[in-house]
Amino acid sequence: MADSEDSSKGSTTSSLRNAWGNVLAFFILLLIGVLAFSIRLFSVIKYESVIHEFDPYFNYRVTQYLTKNGIYDFWNWFDDRTWYPLGRVIGGTVYPGLTLTAGSIWRIVNSLNIPLSVETVCVFTAPIFSANAAWATYLLTKEVKGVGAGLTAAALLGMVPSYISRSVAGSYDNEAVAIFALIFTFYLYVKTLNTGSLFYATLNALAYFYMVCSWGGYTFIINLIPMHVLLCIVTGRYSSRLYIAYAPLVVLGTLLAALVPVVGFNAVMTSEHFASFLVFIVINVVALVHYIKGILSPKMFKVAMTLVVTFGMAICCAVIAVLVALVASSPTKGWSGRSLSLLDPTYASKYIPIIASVSEHQPPTWPSYFMDINVLAFLVPAGIIACFLPLSDASSFVVLYIVTSVYFSGVMVRLMLVLAPAACIMSGIALSEAFDVFTRSIKFQLSGLLERASGAGDITSGSVAPQNDGPKADKQSTSDKPEDSIKERPSRKNKKKEKENVEKVPVKSKAEKRLLVLPLETSAIAILLLVLMGAFYVVHCVWAAAEAYSAPSIVLTSYSNDGLHVFDDFREAYAWLRHNTDVDDKVASWWDYGYQTTAMANRTVIVDNNTWNNTHIATVGTAMSSPEKAAWEIFNSLDVKYVLVVFGGLVGYPSDDINKFLWMVRIGGGVFPHIKEPDYLRDGQYRIDSQATPTMLNCLMYKLSYYRFVETDGKAFDRVRRTEIGKKYFKLTHFEEVFTSHHWMMRIYKLKPPKNRIRGKTKKSKSGSKSSTANVKRDGKKKNPWH
Amino acid sequence: MRLLRYALLGALGLAYAANTTNGSRDSVKSTFSPPQHFRNVNLVRNINLEKSYARDTVNVVIENVSPQPQSEYYIAFDGSIQNIGGVEVRDKKDAEKGRFQVELVADPLPSTAGFYKVTFPTAVKAKEQLTLSITYFSISVLQPLPALINQNEKQYVSFDFSAYAPSAYTTLKQKTKLKLPTTDVPDATVVPKELNAENKLDPQKEAKTFTYGPYNEQSAGSERAVSVRYEYTHPLTHGRLLERDIEVSHWGGNIATEERHWLSNRGAALKDHFSRVKYQQAAYYNPPSNALKELRFPLPVGSIDAYFVDDIGNVSTSRFRANARESNLELKPRYPLFGNWNYSFKAGWSANLDRFLRKVKGSSHSYVLNVRFFEGPRQNEGVEYERVVTRIILPEGALDEILFYKTYFDTVGRTTLKLTAINLVDELRDRELIVTYDYPFLTSFRKPLTIFTALMLVFAASWVVGNLDVSIGKKQKAA
Repeated sequence: MADSEDSSKGSTTSSLRNAWGNVLAFFILLLIGVLAFSIRLFSVIKYESVIHEFDPYFNYRVTQYLTKNGIYDFWNWFDDRTWYPLGRVIGGTVYPGLTLTAGSIWRIVNSLNIPLSVETVCVFTAPIFSANAAWATYLLTKEVKGVGAGLTAAALLGMVPSYISRSVAGSYDNEAVAIFALIFTFYLYVKTLNTGSLFYATLNALAYFYMVCSWGGYTFIINLIPMHVLLCIVTGRYSSRLYIAYAPLVVLGTLLAALVPVVGFNAVMTSEHFASFLVFIVINVVALVHYIKGILSPKMFKVAMTLVVTFGMAICCAVIAVLVALVASSPTKGWSGRSLSLLDPTYASKYIPIIASVSEHQPPTWPSYFMDINVLAFLVPAGIIACFLPLSDASSFVVLYIVTSVYFSGVMVRLMLVLAPAACIMSGIALSEAFDVFTRSIKFQLSGLLERASGAGDITSGSVAPQNDGPKADKQSTSDKPEDSIKERPSRKNKKKEKENVEKVPVKSKAEKRLLVLPLETSAIAILLLVLMGAFYVVHCVWAAAEAYSAPSIVLTSYSNDGLHVFDDFREAYAWLRHNTDVDDKVASWWDYGYQTTAMANRTVIVDNNTWNNTHIATVGTAMSSPEKAAWEIFNSLDVKYVLVVFGGLVGYPSDDINKFLWMVRIGGGVFPHIKEPDYLRDGQYRIDSQATPTMLNCLMYKLSYYRFVETDGKAFDRVRRTEIGKKYFKLTHFEEVFTSHHWMMRIYKLKPPKNRIRGKTKKSKSGSKSSTANVKRDGKKKNPWH
Repeated sequence: MRLLRYALLGALGLAYAANTTNGSRDSVKSTFSPPQHFRNVNLVRNINLEKSYARDTVNVVIENVSPQPQSEYYIAFDGSIQNIGGVEVRDKKDAEKGRFQVELVADPLPSTAGFYKVTFPTAVKAKEQLTLSITYFSISVLQPLPALINQNEKQYVSFDFSAYAPSAYTTLKQKTKLKLPTTDVPDATVVPKELNAENKLDPQKEAKTFTYGPYNEQSAGSERAVSVRYEYTHPLTHGRLLERDIEVSHWGGNIATEERHWLSNRGAALKDHFSRVKYQQAAYYNPPSNALKELRFPLPVGSIDAYFVDDIGNVSTSRFRANARESNLELKPRYPLFGNWNYSFKAGWSANLDRFLRKVKGSSHSYVLNVRFFEGPRQNEGVEYERVVTRIILPEGALDEILFYKTYFDTVGRTTLKLTAINLVDELRDRELIVTYDYPFLTSFRKPLTIFTALMLVFAASWVVGNLDVSIGKKQKAA
């Protein structure tokens, strides 16, 4: 009875309720934005407002350059302070999206006379864009399953640990912006698919352009969308809306993508993009067929069909043959190394040690799924099922998205990030549908119960009951996800907008109401469990944000008996370099520290984290794994003045250069065959104690790390390797220590000038093969005076 | 109505200039020699070398030898005039009169010659005598010798000066006393006995005090170069530049100070390079060292929110101790500054405006601000500054005179007062600076009004944009 009353009133008050629902949804969204922003501020509160890790320092430096010199200088920037003596064309080799975004924010803020520093803007760019990403998730999920699911998904994405790990304040990296761009592009695609509006299709191309500007992961979009289009065509879901959603994206998107210098002609020349063109051809053919089908009679159409098919097949075969030939002629089959390792997970470790040496390019372990997406992993299957009830174009897209991203996340830890939004959307749908069913059951059962209890009593009590219900349902939901109370209204609203759903929805909702009613107790317990699960997720996310992902990695802290201990050695050493060496001095270190050295110490480096030149890195790796004299020659030939090593043996900092050393050997040996990995291993084991091989004990990295180490405790006990080192007392002949940081984590050495060396140590003339590498690199320019 | 007056109370002797230091100097030809209106009857020069700079106190009895009353007396210096700072001249017999006005009379750079001109408020009549007490500081005058030492070695510095006190006038009788921080003095130039007025051994040594002279009559400008070399195992902290901003906010009731330091250690450089092992071993018995390890900023009482950052972020090795009686900021640079090493950083703090600002009596919108000209660290061994630039940023609309500085939501910019001083030492750090300014009541509402107007404009614009119909073709009505 109450229901019928409601529905009769509903038509008159629906506009008011809609308005209230909108306002509520708006405030929830606002709060989600605040949540997404503020959960990422743990790093600022616990540490400080500082740029994190490695790549962000490069982005920060580029942004500084952009804000100082303007956009045109930025495009033409040739950076001579890195990859010495090669240099690097920055404008043409970076994805400029992040830099331009932060630069514009800085400009706007400063034009309002708010004197924020570039660094502050950079630090907070990622949290701001996380809020944007949460809103974009809302929009996308709303297109798929309505407002309720949208709000749930947005809330989940706002705090999903996987995304937090890349977007805490200070983590100024491409992904921070790119995830927003990715979701927003998908949203516009789905929106276009649902509305068939060319306006949204154009916006979609622009969003895609922004994504291309931001991150190399744009290839995911340009492969996923064609896949979906193909899927729709194959399953007979072709429509003009699909054509409008896809064709402008490919044409405009490719044109725009080619405008980005770092992509350029790659947008039409590499295999990553071919799928989109192939599908573009297919969709045009299908569109043509549909058109012809429309204007011809069925008989004529059959005739035409056979004709077209024969000719079409011939042409297609020819085109495909040409394409295959073109692709096959290039050595990597037109695929870049990183993309290839996506298709074949073992590719990188087999062929490209530089890619394999980066931990974020390794496949993830199972616990990392639980760490990064937590309970979402369990909700995703439910979400997929919900997407099939009923299957629309939009929901099929989301299903395809989650399936592909699950595969990619299994290949590379880093791509967990792409999985996270998909998982949030799916879980949002699942949670929202579940709450919908359970609350409706409760409502239905309660009203039934009350009616029975009051029996033939006055109707007023019956009419009170649903009113009591409302706040109750609200209470339950507000404790976790307050959106289900407004779940039904948007679906009504959608009816007006989406013409295609007009017929389906009422039928469906009626059917649901009748069929999907569960017992009262079951529903209540299920809701309770879901709320508990949500609470667990929130607790986990906050913990992950606060403890696991907030460390800036340039400042380390540890808690000991006497309180907090801060290890600020990196900046200590970089500050020393910055203030006490000549501005044009070259500093050699392993490439991990290249970006930091250029940004924090403002000194020229030989190699940095943009590992574009394998040979150059191999040269540094060779120098580090060579004996002192050979290393000196290599470094001297590169004009190096200072060598910087990271050493964790004194305080037990595990990711130091000695632990990375085998990669240096491997990468060096890959180019200079006289460096052989087995020489550094004793029976296949990497060790630095007295059992270590003589090659190991005499290489530069060993010596620079352990020079005078024995004088600290008398035993030279390495706290990372948990052993006493093999060779304790030795002198440096070609290098001299100039600075060691407080906890010995950074050690800086200077190359001795050649004069001292002639009087110095013995002149063993066995530099034959090793010095030749140096001479091969840069013969002529620097002649070593003792030859 | 809007006017601004500022006075550098107690620091009149500082050579300060509104924009550039050179601009305020009278350019005098290099051949300039002061008119010989005076002679020094008796001169005693005390050079205090206990810190990393030299503090000279010259007590001199001058006599007007010209027939007319004279009011301008010139002070000469040994060494470069570019190293002289903080010149203050008083009447020794009548200290209450305060300082006399002094003014730099120097050749344009790179010449290092020049004088300071003292102007007496009342002219000295002919044959009349006056006892002056002249104090000044010489910075960058201690040179480490040897210039390279080992990490834990003693540092020796040499100090070059003239045994005859520099003077622009004939001096009848004089002597120079050196106050050294130590008795470890390996070298001190010996002046021949016959030049000494009493035919004594010259210099006379007495514990930490060395006395050159007395000498008989010396003509103007006569010099006798001598040098002493003594142990001084302390950092020679040298501030290449100190920029200082003081921002006054009436709305926040806050006065924010930020100092940007560019420091060097002029001490002896390391012969072998820095060794952390040695440094850590030495830390146990903490011997004297020429490394600068810590800076102590005594801040005004009631300071809050102190910070210490450099180009690459917060420096965690700082401590801020504040209680009701004192506030101290103790900073450790990221690394100890050995000889020839540099470091630059920012340190800042805030305080309640009430302690520094009061209304002028009887006026509704005139205020008097009383702040320190510069603060910086106070070290046992002293700190010297080549150049100190202080900016006082008054509230927006307080006045429009010199410079503008825009910060949060400012429209016309804030009145900024910029004062530059050269060659200062940390002993002068507490000199007061008093600024009087007008700040009309209505002006203080400029900012909220601006923000309000801007927001209204945004709303209006979005309303207009929201109501525009830009669709192509006719709108289809929803069924």
